[in-house]
Amino acid sequence: MSSHYSEDDLTLYYYREGRYASHRERSRSDLSRHLQTCAACAALYHDISSTLALVVADEVPERGDQYGLEVWQRIRHRLPERRSGFGRFAELGRLAGFGAGFSRFFKWDGVALAGAAALLAVAAFIAGRTWQSPGTTPPVAGNLASPGSTINPATRGNPANPSGSDTARSRILLTSVADHLDRSERVLTEIMNTGEPGDISAEQRWAEDLVTASRLYRQDAMDAGEQSVATVLDDLERTLLEIVHSPSKIGAADLEQIRRRVDAAALLFKVRVMSEELRQREAAPDGRSAPRTSTSTVS
Amino acid sequence: MDATETAAVLARARQGDGDAFRALVERHSRSAFRLAFRMTGSEQDAEDVVQEAFLRAYKQLGRFELRANFGTWLYRIVANCSVDLMRAKLSRHDMSRSESLDETVETAEISAHGGAGPERLAESAEIQRRVRDALGALSPLERAAFTLRHYEGRSIEEISATLGLGTSAAKHSVFRAVRKLRVALAPLRSQVS
Repeated sequence: MSSHYSEDDLTLYYYREGRYASHRERSRSDLSRHLQTCAACAALYHDISSTLALVVADEVPERGDQYGLEVWQRIRHRLPERRSGFGRFAELGRLAGFGAGFSRFFKWDGVALAGAAALLAVAAFIAGRTWQSPGTTPPVAGNLASPGSTINPATRGNPANPSGSDTARSRILLTSVADHLDRSERVLTEIMNTGEPGDISAEQRWAEDLVTASRLYRQDAMDAGEQSVATVLDDLERTLLEIVHSPSKIGAADLEQIRRRVDAAALLFKVRVMSEELRQREAAPDGRSAPRTSTSTVS
Repeated sequence: MDATETAAVLARARQGDGDAFRALVERHSRSAFRLAFRMTGSEQDAEDVVQEAFLRAYKQLGRFELRANFGTWLYRIVANCSVDLMRAKLSRHDMSRSESLDETVETAEISAHGGAGPERLAESAEIQRRVRDALGALSPLERAAFTLRHYEGRSIEEISATLGLGTSAAKHSVFRAVRKLRVALAPLRSQVS
């Protein structure tokens, strides 16, 4: 080679990369010979190799055997709720009063899980057939706080007279949905108040987490006959998805489109009102008797 | 933990089993910290990266292919969290220096003529400080690619896969890093040799 080698070539040669990888003996020996005869390339290579020789790794601070445990302790409370189908089923079972044993049971393998799910479905069917006599109070439509919400009221005792544990479970559900709405409101507010088009990757990550939760809560609300809650959650889910699927470096047009959707659906208003209503119902003595002021009007 | 046991733990973690995920955290935290420290050069930043990486891993477990190696997958997450953190810091401090070779040169010259004598330069601690400064002047991506190549011994293809870059982009990130370091450390090099 009559001309000089480039700095990039010499860097590849130093690291034995690309066309100067160890097994490329021909290329390596050509360059090596050139370095012996070309003072300019030899000087440049000397510069590169002596520079890189100076770059020695700092000693990594020692971390003890318990470090993993420390990390776990720091992050455990920050882990988002994440439930697969069976995990969610187990959680619902726990809420429905089956207790921790039920949850552990649902950590078994897939066959056991599928069998158990089928068994529960049959049990629910039989229970429904047995308990739904003509004189039974019909399920109260639109009552997320009724016993067994998710947890269909029709399959449980008299909704007009919930037991203490049922009320507690209902409150957990109300609190969860209200918290979810509050978190969603914060994301929407961030997006609405973003000063200029820019990086919304943090909001997108947040929204991504909320989408899954929103879907689960919407299904729960539908199961419980809470159509207005489900409708708000459905609107919310669509907007969150739009945020998630927008470019991280969002332009003015995309940002405006999201804002128009939020405005058009009066989504922020609905989310706030719904959250407030659920909080009121949560605070009511029986967990459901607070006036349902605006559920029907916000959706 | 053998392969079968690891697969079982991963499967449970994917189903939302906190205990299973805890086992993964306990097993991989130290290696995650080592990489994060190399990438960021800061103990505190490395701690932040480790935590963020596990949180991100937890959220993305559903996408993890069970046949794949969790350690390799986590390695990528740690590397990318490190880049994100460095970018965020850069953005917060409005440090436009990262992309400017001219400023790097200027910094190096000021540093070299700033009164440090040969005796002091001979001290490895001082050399290390200069090297750290030079590394700190690289852009996040350059630093990440260089760290993976120089300290971690990763090939260009591996760097490309880890950082989600094209091969050419990964290679040129390493080239730019070496070029900047060569310029920035030139005064130090001449005084040491």
